[in-house]
Amino acid sequence: MAELAQPSGRFREIARIKLADAHIQQALDDSTIRLRTHRLDAWSALPEVQELRERAHEIRMSVIDDLDGHVERFTAALAARGGNVYFARTADEASEYVANVCRRRGAKLAAKSKSMVSEEIGLNQALEAVGTKAVETDLGEYILQLAGEHPVHIVAPAIEKTAEDVAELLSAVRGKKIPPHLEDLTNAARTQLRETFLNADVGITGVNFAVSETGSICLCTNEGNGRLVSSIPPVHVAIMGMERLVPTTADLAVLLKLLARSGTGQKLTVYTTLLTGPRRAGEVDGPEELHVVILDNGRTNLLRGRYREMLACIRCGACLNVCPVYRKTGGAAYSDVYSGPMGAVLLPLLVGLQQAPSLPHASSLCGACTEACPVKIPLHELLLDLRRDLVAERVAPWTERVAFALWSWAWSRPLGYRLSTALARLGQPLAGLVGPGRAWARVRALPRLGRRYRDRR
Amino acid sequence: MPSVQLFATCLGDLVLPDAVADAETLLRRAGFDVVFPRRQVCCGQPAFNAGHHAAARRVARGFVRAFSRDLPIVVPSGSCATMASHYLPELVGVEPFEVWELSAFLVHARFRPLPRNTGRRVAYHDSCHMLRELNVSAQPRKLLRASGAELVQFVRPDLCCGFGGTFSVRQPEVSAAMADEKLAGSGGATIVTSDPGCLMHLRGRAERVGGPPVVHLASALVGSAGG
Amino acid sequence: MRDEAEHEALSGGVTLVEQFVANAEAVGCHVHRRTGPDIEGAGVSTALYGLADTGSVVLAAAPDEPRRNSLLPDVHVTMLAEDRILPGLDELFAALGPDLPSALAIVTGPSRSADIEQKLAVGVHGPREVHVVLLPPA
Repeated sequence: MAELAQPSGRFREIARIKLADAHIQQALDDSTIRLRTHRLDAWSALPEVQELRERAHEIRMSVIDDLDGHVERFTAALAARGGNVYFARTADEASEYVANVCRRRGAKLAAKSKSMVSEEIGLNQALEAVGTKAVETDLGEYILQLAGEHPVHIVAPAIEKTAEDVAELLSAVRGKKIPPHLEDLTNAARTQLRETFLNADVGITGVNFAVSETGSICLCTNEGNGRLVSSIPPVHVAIMGMERLVPTTADLAVLLKLLARSGTGQKLTVYTTLLTGPRRAGEVDGPEELHVVILDNGRTNLLRGRYREMLACIRCGACLNVCPVYRKTGGAAYSDVYSGPMGAVLLPLLVGLQQAPSLPHASSLCGACTEACPVKIPLHELLLDLRRDLVAERVAPWTERVAFALWSWAWSRPLGYRLSTALARLGQPLAGLVGPGRAWARVRALPRLGRRYRDRR
Repeated sequence: MPSVQLFATCLGDLVLPDAVADAETLLRRAGFDVVFPRRQVCCGQPAFNAGHHAAARRVARGFVRAFSRDLPIVVPSGSCATMASHYLPELVGVEPFEVWELSAFLVHARFRPLPRNTGRRVAYHDSCHMLRELNVSAQPRKLLRASGAELVQFVRPDLCCGFGGTFSVRQPEVSAAMADEKLAGSGGATIVTSDPGCLMHLRGRAERVGGPPVVHLASALVGSAGG
Repeated sequence: MRDEAEHEALSGGVTLVEQFVANAEAVGCHVHRRTGPDIEGAGVSTALYGLADTGSVVLAAAPDEPRRNSLLPDVHVTMLAEDRILPGLDELFAALGPDLPSALAIVTGPSRSADIEQKLAVGVHGPREVHVVLLPPA
């Protein structure tokens, strides 16, 4: 998981690069505006949306309160249907299990459908090491894989790529020139990936939700690759974060009503598929073997603490689409997997604050994310809590802690305030040269300190 | 005559004294005697939002010592009003104060501003705290319209201006890009805001790269272009 | 399973069938009555249920209902009896109970993606065209 670590200067560095790229700024603008508008339209067309959000929050929290119980029930229910369940405590355990399945089957080719968790654990590299080539089949993820890049948005992974970029990548793979027109590109991708679906030895997917009562997993896609990947190859491996469980199908319905509406504005994704075990006797397709890998990777640590609500996240992307910071920087500034407000909260929780110290501050705390979250996670409040932890755990630099301590000592009494501000007024010419004043003055005129209000009265 | 306490806020006192004076003028015109507790300094928000809890508490205790509970406290700042009313009591461990953001108080007091802005086009910028935590967005607009101003809507009124306290200096480039979007979004109309932080940030950016005038709500209502 | 009057009562004037047709067409399905189009190479399936509020068809994998019929071909034709149209997801899961098929696909329109420059492309991996043939109640 070392790749997920975010050295403290990285956010600002990458942000500057993205800010200077007019094409990326336009793409971020267009996509976030479009997705946000669609969500708002979909929410306002659903009279019971606020009630659903409340219920969704309760459902998610009820699972978090008894996660062990739900994992047990899910495992038993799926085993009764002939499915295999593996509980992976760490990223490595998960990758190893999947790699072993592939090795045992002599798998040369794995067809993958969208799975953020598989990125989190670095699955593709682990499979390569045992001779299995993993090909992404989501159109956006496939394009990025060809380019050797990472997804930058939860539901619109390749927003920064132009049609020309895509044409170049697909032409190289098809061995012939493909014009940068949407229909040609789509056909080329469809033809290319059709072979993958038909020839794959193993299909690998993520899981949007899992139902503990029935041992089912639910996959939501628009393209159909989730269904193809879990129907055609003889083996299906599904990887899920342990927090994806819901108690019953009735609870699943509540979350399904919110997921697509919040992510893209659709009532449902085109393919909402509920899978319960491998193929049954007499069926002519569907996997012979179904493996569900339940991943912990730091999630248990969050169950009882202040950040447990973060486990309710359904990965819809609504928070990304309203975030005023994300729309300027894109996802890469946050990490290669999780970005935007949910990434700024989740990543430090998974890798430790030490490994991602600037993420809780990569936000102006405007609160738009909390407003947009379908399961009512108080994202901006969690960011504030993380900032407190940065100080309490001494990850924040000592210079910063000393500066605030001195400031608070001076400003807790009127005389200290007067003296410090009189000094500041005297030192104004130098303010733009050091510390916060310097950072301020890079991009704005410094405010002028004149006669205080209290002295005029 | 009824009385109120005025909380100038640190930014108001230091950087926008004219706006604070305008706020006091408005309160007097509304028929109130304005008391200025001289021990006031700051509500502690800069440290609080940066995660420096103990530092914030130290400064916030000064607020508790400075203000009386006998009179309402009026603040020409949405973010400080939010801090003082929503977060400070729990931070210090005291009973809540009666804290009002300026425009909310003026509308509550049925104040009608003089029609000093007839013929002027202004774009009102909602600061995030006022919009999402205080739910005060109608009152400033009501007052501006009553003063004769023609209100222009930002294309994305929901977007943060990019100040965000220490965010403005931790991520200055992103912060500036967010300001640029705001400055361009008023269509040339003067930008009016109730928050000294947003104001300092937008005005500072406009001074550097060009942009419309940015004024405090109090100054806009008094009819001066003041700071 | 439900008669017209019940349909009417449920949706305040607009029947479930009418609601289904409107929503299915809105997501890009072709809806036919009684007889379907004759398209060479089309995959044919029989839907278990339809969902009125989203215009979805619900397909359950079974020995006589292979998954690939609604997945691999360019065109998918599905037969749906009118009395199998339910209001929505809540009613679907209530009707299914705890005994679920190996694969339950809730399909809402043809395959699509907006991954290239945010423009809508249809028929990315799944069928480009979906035809729903409404059959009278059994």
